[in-house]
Amino acid sequence: MAAAPVTDRLLDQFVTALTRRKASCEVVARADAARAGARWIADRGVVRAVLADDPVIQGIGLPDALRAAGVDPIMWPTSLGRREQLGLEGPDDVCGVTAPALAVAERGTVVLEAAPGHGRAIDVASRHHLAVLPADRIVETLGEALARTYAPGRAAPSAVSLVSGPSRSSDIEKISTLGAHGALTEHVIIVL
Amino acid sequence: MTRPRRGTSTVAYGDVTGTLRERTVEALRDPTLAANLRTAGESWGEARDHMRSEYGLDDMRARARDIRRGNIRRLPELLTELQSNVRANGGVVVRAADGVEACRYIVGLARERGAHVVAKSKSMATEEIKLNEALQGAGLEVVETDLGEWILQLAGQHPSHIIAPAVHLNRDQVAALFREEAGRDDIPSDREALVAHARMRLREKFAAAEIGISGVNIAVASTGTVCIVENEGNARLVTALPRVHVAVMGMERVVADWDEAAHLLQVLPMAAIGQDAANYVNLITGPRREGEQDGPDEFHLVIVDGGRGALRGTEFEEALSCIRCGACLYSCPMWRTVGGQAYGSPYSGPIGAVITPLLEGPSSPGSRDLPFMSSLCGACHEACPVGIPLHDLLVRARARASSPGTRVAGVAFRGWSLLWRHPITYRLSTAMGRLLLRIRGRDGWVRSLPGPARNWTDQRDIPTRWPPRR
Repeated sequence: MAAAPVTDRLLDQFVTALTRRKASCEVVARADAARAGARWIADRGVVRAVLADDPVIQGIGLPDALRAAGVDPIMWPTSLGRREQLGLEGPDDVCGVTAPALAVAERGTVVLEAAPGHGRAIDVASRHHLAVLPADRIVETLGEALARTYAPGRAAPSAVSLVSGPSRSSDIEKISTLGAHGALTEHVIIVL
Repeated sequence: MTRPRRGTSTVAYGDVTGTLRERTVEALRDPTLAANLRTAGESWGEARDHMRSEYGLDDMRARARDIRRGNIRRLPELLTELQSNVRANGGVVVRAADGVEACRYIVGLARERGAHVVAKSKSMATEEIKLNEALQGAGLEVVETDLGEWILQLAGQHPSHIIAPAVHLNRDQVAALFREEAGRDDIPSDREALVAHARMRLREKFAAAEIGISGVNIAVASTGTVCIVENEGNARLVTALPRVHVAVMGMERVVADWDEAAHLLQVLPMAAIGQDAANYVNLITGPRREGEQDGPDEFHLVIVDGGRGALRGTEFEEALSCIRCGACLYSCPMWRTVGGQAYGSPYSGPIGAVITPLLEGPSSPGSRDLPFMSSLCGACHEACPVGIPLHDLLVRARARASSPGTRVAGVAFRGWSLLWRHPITYRLSTAMGRLLLRIRGRDGWVRSLPGPARNWTDQRDIPTRWPPRR
């Protein structure tokens, strides 16, 4: 991904939109990314994390940082059964860690692409969701993100998820309640 | 099964009792319903006004309208392109002429795969074709996993709104349903606890389901991708975990490419819930690929005609542009007063009053009255993000539903028209009317009138002077 370095404007826009969508985030240097991610996960009180097997996540050394923080990192594809992935067996509070292919500054959206190393439901099956995003993957609009994802000549991924904040339901009295079926919390580590 | 023709399915619910008038009167007598609907309508209005002022929703409307009109004009070729691309991605495409055909295919598939539990995410198309009844009739357990739809499944009720199906129930009513289903009385009535309870309860169903069934908000012809928009995360679980994913769409859901899809994917949540994005948009391009651990082995796309194809080229063609956002419902003074259930159809409000009788065809007398559920105020047209002239369509639908009037009625209307064409005779006739009301009235109010005018005074009183006497 040899893109132009992210502008401050795009970064500001993305951070503002994430906050509006009830997600949290921090902008960190590459050397600090693993420690920041592991700290956020450990602070959720979880003992297990399911990680996408992605060069970004491996590259910052997140698995080792998690072990050091007392969290068991399980890489995708996982040996966990479906009931364990859903928190019905084993620890209920699991954190899913994803590596977005892109992000949309205007809307606070991360774009997750399914791949052999990246399960379709890592984020929603877990109680918490941490996304590790290289800053140069931020584009301004949804239109740009979709144009890149489905560019002619590029094989369309079997599944793409546009995730804009934690899971939410307004089905009871039209008042937004977090943590419906998907993650209750979402945190984005933006790696400069 | 591949050649679409005029569908003959019933769209309105079969178990709805009473006439439209009786259901309306019943709804008007329910104070809880009125309060719940008021809360819902007001919070939607505030959120959507914010979208208009901060995001320029009104400016996005013209393009959305052009996109959808173009889609409908090119519908046959777009469907052909969609179909061949879904197949190229390893999916199965089924064109069903009507709901009966669609249900037969899906029930057959469930039987062949030896399924016991079906997990569903919210879908109006499956509501329209009565898929749950068909699957349950074949002995399958069907679980609605959208929180609102699950609440209604437990209550044995039909959705009252396209987007917010259980909007007519409050938290105490929901808690009572959950307590009964779980056989526990320790579930508190606060929203967080109710949502957390449903989360764990429904995870059991996701773990057990062999088949996942979803709707489709938008299908993109150029890549053969279906877009499923949601906020809870259940649609992702439905499309990622079971071995088989069946997506059901009305044939008019298709758009040409990602440029069009990107615009509509932004307009939809703004109009529907007053948010600039839905929490989750799931874009599915076929079954899982070699080496992928989750995702279904099989992807089936069922495209339902159900009377839609026959609307192309008619005066009702624009109704096919609808993106099912529900904005016209919230904006409608009728819907806001009686709620969606009185309509007796999965599609309520102005768009429901137009399309229910159209999709059913002239042979279904049950939904003939629906176009009359409107004051023709035009609020629906103003709210519609794709600019469907709903008030015009309602008038045309009324004309279609009305039988030719009697001679007497014809003469009466012609006389009325003559009388009100000139200022002098207009003033004379209204003065006469006022005089008659005063003669008829007592204490400043007329409480009953004879003949056809009874229809008015049965529901409300008429003041004999303005402002009325309290």
